[in-house]
Amino acid sequence: MSGKNKLLIVDDNDDIRSTFYEFFNSLGYEVKTAGDGLTALKLLKDKPNFFDCLITDLVMPNISGLGLIAIVKKEFPDIKIIAMTGYGDQPGALASEVKADSVFFKPVELIKIENKVSELINPNNDKQ
Amino acid sequence: MTTPLIGVSKSILKIKELINHVANTCLNVLITGETGVGKEVVAQNLYSESSRSSKSFVKINCAALPETLLESELYGYEKGAFTGAHKKRPGKFQTADKGVLFLDEIGDMPMALQSKMLHVLQSGEFSPLGSDQEFKTDVWVIAATNHNLEESMRKKIFREDLFYRLNIIKIEIPPLRERKEDIPSLIEYYFRLYQSEYPDNLGTRPDSDILAKLCNYSWPGNVRQLQNCIKKQMILKSWEKIFEELPKEHPEIVSQFTDDSQQNGSSHYTKSGFQSDRTRIISEFVDLSTSSDKLFEDISLKKIKKLASDKVEKEVITFVLEKVGWNRSRASKILKISYKTLLYKMNEFKVHPPVK
Repeated sequence: MSGKNKLLIVDDNDDIRSTFYEFFNSLGYEVKTAGDGLTALKLLKDKPNFFDCLITDLVMPNISGLGLIAIVKKEFPDIKIIAMTGYGDQPGALASEVKADSVFFKPVELIKIENKVSELINPNNDKQ
Repeated sequence: MTTPLIGVSKSILKIKELINHVANTCLNVLITGETGVGKEVVAQNLYSESSRSSKSFVKINCAALPETLLESELYGYEKGAFTGAHKKRPGKFQTADKGVLFLDEIGDMPMALQSKMLHVLQSGEFSPLGSDQEFKTDVWVIAATNHNLEESMRKKIFREDLFYRLNIIKIEIPPLRERKEDIPSLIEYYFRLYQSEYPDNLGTRPDSDILAKLCNYSWPGNVRQLQNCIKKQMILKSWEKIFEELPKEHPEIVSQFTDDSQQNGSSHYTKSGFQSDRTRIISEFVDLSTSSDKLFEDISLKKIKKLASDKVEKEVITFVLEKVGWNRSRASKILKISYKTLLYKMNEFKVHPPVK
């Protein structure tokens, strides 16, 4: 598929959302953001074949990141998923259980996440 | 029949939307909110919109039963598992198989049972008491609580791993006082419902003045308290009496109403003789108008103690602050508490100096 890689960033923290947005946008990604799981799910349902990768926080209002991952795995199996958590081991362990492709513990290094995103989206490319 | 989720407020509309999006996922749900906000109504709506609606909806109240009884209710037992187990009995995890298990008051579940619950949620397997066989179960777990479970985790009375496993979808129902715009539609719904249930009792719909007063009341017992008032009104046929009996959390609203009605000569109702001192005191903290089953569930000495001590503390703090001209440093010395504690309590009880 040609064109920009498309990311959906989900976090209830405004600062994290805008930092991620700026960072990935500057690297040429097309980025959308959501502040909770329900908003993210609506975006995904509106554009079913749009996103390549979902980067989500785990502890959020209404649909948690764990819930979102479980739904996306089932309904949108082609989307790659990166989970981020700042709440210790519990949510992280559950994220692996619901089969997130990768789990990061906050504070995260943006460049490492970007490496993971490009590795997941373009597994055959040595270099993005 | 499932009670619909009534309301036009943003929060209720959002909850309806959320139910619509998650009812078919069968992911664990945690419903939170004060007593009487309608947690079970939300659970039933989730169930009726799900693909499991033709299977059973099994409810268990984790606060109403002692630990050992709760355990045998949840998992069942084999004949001879304990004294009195004359025959085998299936537990709720078995009867709810393929359907929904609604765990009400999950925040009151004893720690020992929390770990067993965690095991079932992780593996989908359980064994009845007195059995060494593991049974597979496929239940959709919907849990509810009026506790702040994050706080309970900090106090180490609720397991963190169980919390995160339940909190996959979180539905927070705000108290009625924070969504007053729902009150008119709730009144209309329950008014019609009770009218059809008791066609001989002709209550009157509130006029605009009464409706405004009903909307301004704080409803500490939330929708359940409002429901009971409407039901009572069908029998008493007087909104004045209903206002008289409301716990005076907002005395200005109630007194304004009774003053008006007395000036009009329409009411000579007095409280004396109607309620004994005991029921009057108890009714300040517990809704006595519910069925005795529900009432016994609601009565918790720990909760009542907190409500009662908060009430008295608030009055004493206000009294002392007024005496010392709102000098908080002096007030804290008189009250023999730290300055920080006083500020914390003033904030908690919403005690503020009068605005000049």
